[in-house]
Amino acid sequence: MAFLEVKNINYSYSKGTPFEIAALKNCSFAVEKGEYVGVIGHTGSGKSTLMQMLNALQKPDSGAVLLDGKDINTDKVTARDTRFRVGLVFQYPEYQLFEETVRKDIAYGPTNMKLSPEEIEQRVLEAANIVGLPSDLLDKSPFDLSGGEKRRAAIAGVMAMKPEVLILDEPAAGLDPIGRKVIMDMINKYRASTGATVLLVSHSMETVAAVADRILVLNKGTIAMDGTVDSVFSRAKELIEMGLDVPAVTRIAVCLKEMGYEVNTGVYSVADAADMLLHLLGKKEGTA
Amino acid sequence: MIRDITIGQYFPGTSLIHKLDPRMKIVLLVLNIAALFLCRNFFSLLLMFVMSVAWVLLSRIPFATILKGLKMILVILVFTAFLQIFYNDDGTVLWHPVESWDFKITTGGVFSAVFIAVRIISLILMSTLLTYTTSPTLLTDAIERLLSPLKVFKIKVHSLAMMMTIALRFIPTLIEEIDIIMSAQKARGADLETGSLVQRAKALVPILVPLFVNSFRRAYELAFAMEARCYGGDEKRTRLRVMKLGGKDFAMLAVTLVCFAAVVVTSYVNMGSFFLFEKVI
Repeated sequence: MAFLEVKNINYSYSKGTPFEIAALKNCSFAVEKGEYVGVIGHTGSGKSTLMQMLNALQKPDSGAVLLDGKDINTDKVTARDTRFRVGLVFQYPEYQLFEETVRKDIAYGPTNMKLSPEEIEQRVLEAANIVGLPSDLLDKSPFDLSGGEKRRAAIAGVMAMKPEVLILDEPAAGLDPIGRKVIMDMINKYRASTGATVLLVSHSMETVAAVADRILVLNKGTIAMDGTVDSVFSRAKELIEMGLDVPAVTRIAVCLKEMGYEVNTGVYSVADAADMLLHLLGKKEGTA
Repeated sequence: MIRDITIGQYFPGTSLIHKLDPRMKIVLLVLNIAALFLCRNFFSLLLMFVMSVAWVLLSRIPFATILKGLKMILVILVFTAFLQIFYNDDGTVLWHPVESWDFKITTGGVFSAVFIAVRIISLILMSTLLTYTTSPTLLTDAIERLLSPLKVFKIKVHSLAMMMTIALRFIPTLIEEIDIIMSAQKARGADLETGSLVQRAKALVPILVPLFVNSFRRAYELAFAMEARCYGGDEKRTRLRVMKLGGKDFAMLAVTLVCFAAVVVTSYVNMGSFFLFEKVI
């Protein structure tokens, strides 16, 4: 039995009005403990809705979400407990900070869990350490931090609940390459210290390919692909047709293939692409 | 769900009401509201109620949508009508539990409760219809033109209209934002549904603080963006859409004026008990 299981979920917005749109159509997948899954899809593919199903913020119209084999939508108490076990970091989480100090803001989740003050304090420090917030910032107002620091404080607020599943919706949106790397390192650090399952939502294939073990591709409310990074990238052409942002090197490989060269279109890292090109050039030189 | 709020929403359409000149629509609404408040007997009130229902029918907006909007004010409606029962001692006494108390329910009280309820419903029907059938841009454009005589008194009519446009424009954005912030705080275990009144009020802090902070941030960004483009709509701005009153505008005005006159005559000219009820309020 899988740790987190989604079974035949259907969901539509604005039911019963002329504006009704099917957001998710018959989605099923399962995630094991400790997996690092990348969730990819175009804007409006339903990825954010699907993620909100996983911690019972949204209820599917039909189908079920099982955590440890138990339906998370049976009653309000189970739903609320699920939110502590499945942590969800929204897009631009820095816009949800509200407390007087960073310390209090990070403590909001653990306080809602009704933990002891000592436990809360310890968790705040741990989370701040994982996201790399120096302790002198903890007593500042979150509104006085820089953009990047705010984002880190907000993510720490979810990590402090020590969720067994951590879902991050575009955690690096709007950050520069260094900021992006810092966020990815934070996630790895959290995984290493807790062994948590991580779902990373992004529209950038490049980011996901670099970190995830497995990729889910959503397209128009259905799960279009589900497999290892290599197996998903081997269908690079389909990804481009779905309007996804594949790495530049993958696009080059697809173009070369269309021009008649025998290349593997599944490359996604610069190093692999270099090997591929060298191999190609070498072969040409050999034949010439 | 918070997304179900329909007040201030616009439903595009091609009905007669949609096509009326927005300036005329505002004038007619003001006339109708005035007539509603001038009503003194059931005949005139019935007339105005029929009028407001006719407006809704003409707009071809489904009644279900309109009723959904009415649901929001149901509490206020019931509360006001309920209080009204005790504010009127006329007519025969229906219920007088303790002889020495002044507390009693009379037919007059019940009548005025029904009266006020019908009046509020008609009021809401007509005023929601204005925003339902007029796009926010047209609406503020119309307000700006109607207020333009005030320019004589150095009132910045255009700036006022612009503020209104912006406020209306950001209602859906704010609703969406509240939705996201609520979800985000719920994801951190916020409990908005249970607990005492004080606890629930406290639970709103994590939602209201980010909402205010973000609104200010957005307002600054918008102001900077407008200034960066040297916005100055006040001076000599020409218009893409020129509003012109047509035959249907004057026809609707005529109908409204006739109703208005009927309300005034039946309410204020002494005709004995010819109409359903004499003065109710």
